[in-house]
Amino acid sequence: MLTVDGLGVRAGDLELVREVSFGIGPGERVGLIGESGSGKSLTALALMGLLPDGVTASGTARLGGRDLVGVPERRLKDLRGRTVSMVFQEPMTALNPLMRVGAQVAEVMTLHGVAAGRARERAAELLGRVRLPDPERIARSYPHQLSGGQRQRVMLAIALANEPDLLICDEPTTALDVTVQKQMLELIAEVAPALLFITHDLAVVASLCERVLVMYGGRVVESGPLREVFKHPRHRYTEGLLAASRLPPRGTRLATIPGSVPAAGRFPGGCVFRDRCAHATETCETAPELTAPELTAPDLTGPEPRGDGHAFACWHPRR
Amino acid sequence: MIVYLLKRLAVLLASVAAAGVAVFAFMAVLPGDPAEIALGVNATPEAVADLRARFGTDRPPVTQFLDWFGGLVHGDFGTSYVTSSPIGPQIADRFGVTVVLVLGGMVVALLVAVPAGTYAAVHHRDPVGAAISAVSQVGIAVPAFLAGILLVFVFAVKAQALPSGGYVPIADDPAEWLRSLLLPWLSLGLVQGAVLTRYVRSAVLDVMREDYLRTARAKGRGRMGALWRHGLRNASIPVVTVLGLQLATLLIGAVVVERVFVIPGLGDLLLNGVAGRDLLLVQGVVMVLVAAVLLINFVVDVCYAALDPRLRGAR
Repeated sequence: MLTVDGLGVRAGDLELVREVSFGIGPGERVGLIGESGSGKSLTALALMGLLPDGVTASGTARLGGRDLVGVPERRLKDLRGRTVSMVFQEPMTALNPLMRVGAQVAEVMTLHGVAAGRARERAAELLGRVRLPDPERIARSYPHQLSGGQRQRVMLAIALANEPDLLICDEPTTALDVTVQKQMLELIAEVAPALLFITHDLAVVASLCERVLVMYGGRVVESGPLREVFKHPRHRYTEGLLAASRLPPRGTRLATIPGSVPAAGRFPGGCVFRDRCAHATETCETAPELTAPELTAPDLTGPEPRGDGHAFACWHPRR
Repeated sequence: MIVYLLKRLAVLLASVAAAGVAVFAFMAVLPGDPAEIALGVNATPEAVADLRARFGTDRPPVTQFLDWFGGLVHGDFGTSYVTSSPIGPQIADRFGVTVVLVLGGMVVALLVAVPAGTYAAVHHRDPVGAAISAVSQVGIAVPAFLAGILLVFVFAVKAQALPSGGYVPIADDPAEWLRSLLLPWLSLGLVQGAVLTRYVRSAVLDVMREDYLRTARAKGRGRMGALWRHGLRNASIPVVTVLGLQLATLLIGAVVVERVFVIPGLGDLLLNGVAGRDLLLVQGVVMVLVAAVLLINFVVDVCYAALDPRLRGAR
């Protein structure tokens, strides 16, 4: 349904996202993970056509037969909020402080052709659907009268209002309490059509998604079914990420990935991870392709799962 | 909302009362006795004492204050020691002219600043946006009276299109009234508009970076649609603050512009009062100006509450 092919994002001479390709089927829930600065949010904003000024996208992305990249703003406007919706990271500032919540939910419907009266009724229904107590009262409230979790539910109600084909969530629970976070994730899992879920929290991905894309340095370095990637990570970056997220036994040091994510444009040529990778050799100065294991792993031995779409871009993958 | 307004109203009334005490006290400690001024240097002490009794200035200051301030409440500003005519009607006449002058200037400022500032913010990367910022910078450096003189030179002396000064009451001839006020409005408004343009620009720039604008675009609004529907009201909150300060500045600054254009406003009356050592008149005019500034602040507070729901419930 969503097909992304060779998506690139750049700001002037700086290449921020490169050659990102993936697909999301109807009803499929895909996680996009990676450290801060790996290009996850830019990928999402590129799909929404909401990149900041001076930042441009290239490549193709098609959703249900319609192009999302390289299309004039006038056409994208029609898709945003109707065919594809997005929930952002920061619920406290994402709503207009001067406007009643109900009006902000109704707005997304009137913008796409629903009559005002009907939109008002639907707004209250939607607020109930995201399990806000007393939706009529919430609709009359202003954002400052709601908690962060409640505001994020409002954002979700706005995103779902026109029954979009694809919901994009950019770290929607990062700013919330852990307990609220859990409820919110359950709700997203329940109501989302196809989902692209961006996070750096691997546990969240594990509880929510069927497939996962690992991004680093603006590229997808590994992708595949969640179980497969989490159980048998092949890329050395994924391996490090998973090790770092595991709680070590008491008294031992927390596993980390050496070094830190370079600033945009400061990633090494060839494999973007090679300056932080213990397995890097001269081969890694050439960029590895993202391909299925049996094709790119000459040093691979032993039985491997096949045909499940588990792909990675690494010259020296974990066995 | 009601509670907020009542509190603000209480603050306004208390401030006006305090201002009354301050203005009265200030005028009282100024050297110069009205009776001595009126009778000149050759007056006998008996005549001075007699006149003091008539003016009521021989009474204790507190009594004088209560008498004066109590009168103000009923619109009675007392009788001039110099001209023996009641002060209230004079102030009322002149105040109307000044209010028209100031409000007109403010309207000109808004008409300049809101479109120019918004345009400069939306196009802040383009040369035109930068040019607007540069021009507004120059405008800030020009005092209103200089702008007035330049405008008179261009429109009255060179083009002979508008009168260089004078004032025609609206009741006499509405068209002439408008013509007589155009240049004063422009000279007050253009300078204040330049200042205001910078504030509008920065307020709109701030709002453009807000997350809720991105939310609006994610809903399917265009760039300008999002700014119009969700940005302008938010941006107007800081602008209202500046607007209040500017109105107060204009009210006081009108004194000079009234001189340049020979307009019989409150500033003109104040200067006449000072020149004629008409203490009670000066006291009355200053009181009116101070009260007007306090009233402006009150109106600004009310505007905040009307614009921002966060203020209504909280206090």
